[in-house]
Amino acid sequence: MKNKIKRHSIIELIEHWSIALSGIVLLFTGLGCLPLYKRYYITEIPGFAWTADFYYVTTVHYVASAVFVAAVVFHIFYHGLRKDFALLPKKGDLSQSIKVLAAMIGIGKEPPSDKYLPEQRIAYVGIGLVILILTVTGIIKVLKNLEWLILSPEIESINTLIHTLTGFLFMIALIIHVGTVVLFKSNWPLLKSMFTGWIDEDYVKHRHSIWYEKIKMH
Amino acid sequence: MNISRRGFLALSGAVCGSLILGNEVEAREGKYATLIDLTKCDGCKDEPIPRCVKACRDYNKDRFPQPQKPIQPYWPRKTYEDWSEKRDKIDTLTPYNWIFVQKVDIDGQEIFIPRRCMHCDNPPCVRECPFGALTKQPEGNSVINDKICFGGAKCRDVCPWHIPQRQAGVGIYLKILPKYAGGGVMYKCDLCKDRIKQGQEPACVIACRERLGNHAVFTFGDRKTIYELAYRRAKEEGLYIYGDNQNGGTSTLYLSKVPFEKIDSALKQNKERFQMPVNVENKIESKFNPIGKLVLVSGFLSMAGAVIGAIFSKKSNKEETDEK
Repeated sequence: MKNKIKRHSIIELIEHWSIALSGIVLLFTGLGCLPLYKRYYITEIPGFAWTADFYYVTTVHYVASAVFVAAVVFHIFYHGLRKDFALLPKKGDLSQSIKVLAAMIGIGKEPPSDKYLPEQRIAYVGIGLVILILTVTGIIKVLKNLEWLILSPEIESINTLIHTLTGFLFMIALIIHVGTVVLFKSNWPLLKSMFTGWIDEDYVKHRHSIWYEKIKMH
Repeated sequence: MNISRRGFLALSGAVCGSLILGNEVEAREGKYATLIDLTKCDGCKDEPIPRCVKACRDYNKDRFPQPQKPIQPYWPRKTYEDWSEKRDKIDTLTPYNWIFVQKVDIDGQEIFIPRRCMHCDNPPCVRECPFGALTKQPEGNSVINDKICFGGAKCRDVCPWHIPQRQAGVGIYLKILPKYAGGGVMYKCDLCKDRIKQGQEPACVIACRERLGNHAVFTFGDRKTIYELAYRRAKEEGLYIYGDNQNGGTSTLYLSKVPFEKIDSALKQNKERFQMPVNVENKIESKFNPIGKLVLVSGFLSMAGAVIGAIFSKKSNKEETDEK
């Protein structure tokens, strides 16, 4: 049996998967809100007839957003207060990321990494920003529907437009995120750790040598 | 990145506070309303075209769609919505006809109903448009911005009366995704938005008064006054009101001697495109808002949970290792 190192706590796993799963539901229902599904015959697929009704689609979008908002808010406050800033970018991450990506396709040697790869830290900020904009504009939409927040027509219009356009960025970010994990074999142990929380010591030793050194120092 | 716990909480509080407090506050219902008195409308029987319809067409003719032809079908569908060859059609709502006079026979009596956008107080078309192309103006009218409308026709689907009408071959979708998404621009009455902003009446209202004087079908004015007038007349003359409760309230009230249940039943029997359902629930208020409150509660609860969790958790400097 190989030695394992704990990479993610149960809280982090719950955060990741609740954002991921509710995010996928939000993306699906968001595209349904556009509207696209009647035109593209999605409503005619067995089990998808409900997507023809905007009120059902929006209701599911709302329910999923309760999970999404809770997870995002928890993430910001919990890790913000604990000062868990390991996923925030560091100086030189951009050039290091290029080396990591090049190594993934067999060009050059991958530089030593800390707990997170440099491109993961950059991606975190990118996707985090998109999620933050979606969450804030989404909450504004909820508040204005409740009429607890009354906006001028122009602001309401701009907020709606930002929410929709950022939804597309979220879709692109999600595709890149899943694609990078699934397509590159070197990332598969990271996927496994996203389910179990544990990662092989050998893998850490080779790919996350800076982090490994820190662990051994303690 | 260095941020103190106090600084972090202060920043979070400021963000939440600025979200809750809006800067620009407008009245929900709007300033104006229209009373449409069906006891007075004869459909301009002696005229080639009802005055209200003609006035609307004349006033808005420069804003009517000018589609680029040939129009592409909505791929993968083989169809598209094109009214450009039927610009003269005045007996229904089209992208070129934003008001029409509907005729219905009830117990041998002819009733004429000018039909156009009701301008709801909490309009589903505005709240549900994914592009923010529809807005509710401070005057109380709902307006479509033809510059950013993608023509998805969702506003028509969520409108209890299915009022907005689509014209293909015009609009921003032609510049972005002409084949794969978008379908034109939606058109409907905006209550002569520029006129009412300047305190003037909509064109249809003026045209009707020019013909009927004090017996005009349309009365346009301060919302509160119009509502009071409608309720008073309904009480004094035993008339029925439509539009005050439907979809949670609108800026358009109809008065009739005949109950609206009967009118709607006759319209349904005739399989009319535009009907007058009496029980119209505002689904944003009844379906979405309760879940919206749940979203906010879940956000606050999770914030509290996160703060408590962070305070009580000891940040471990040692990474755990375990032999499995």
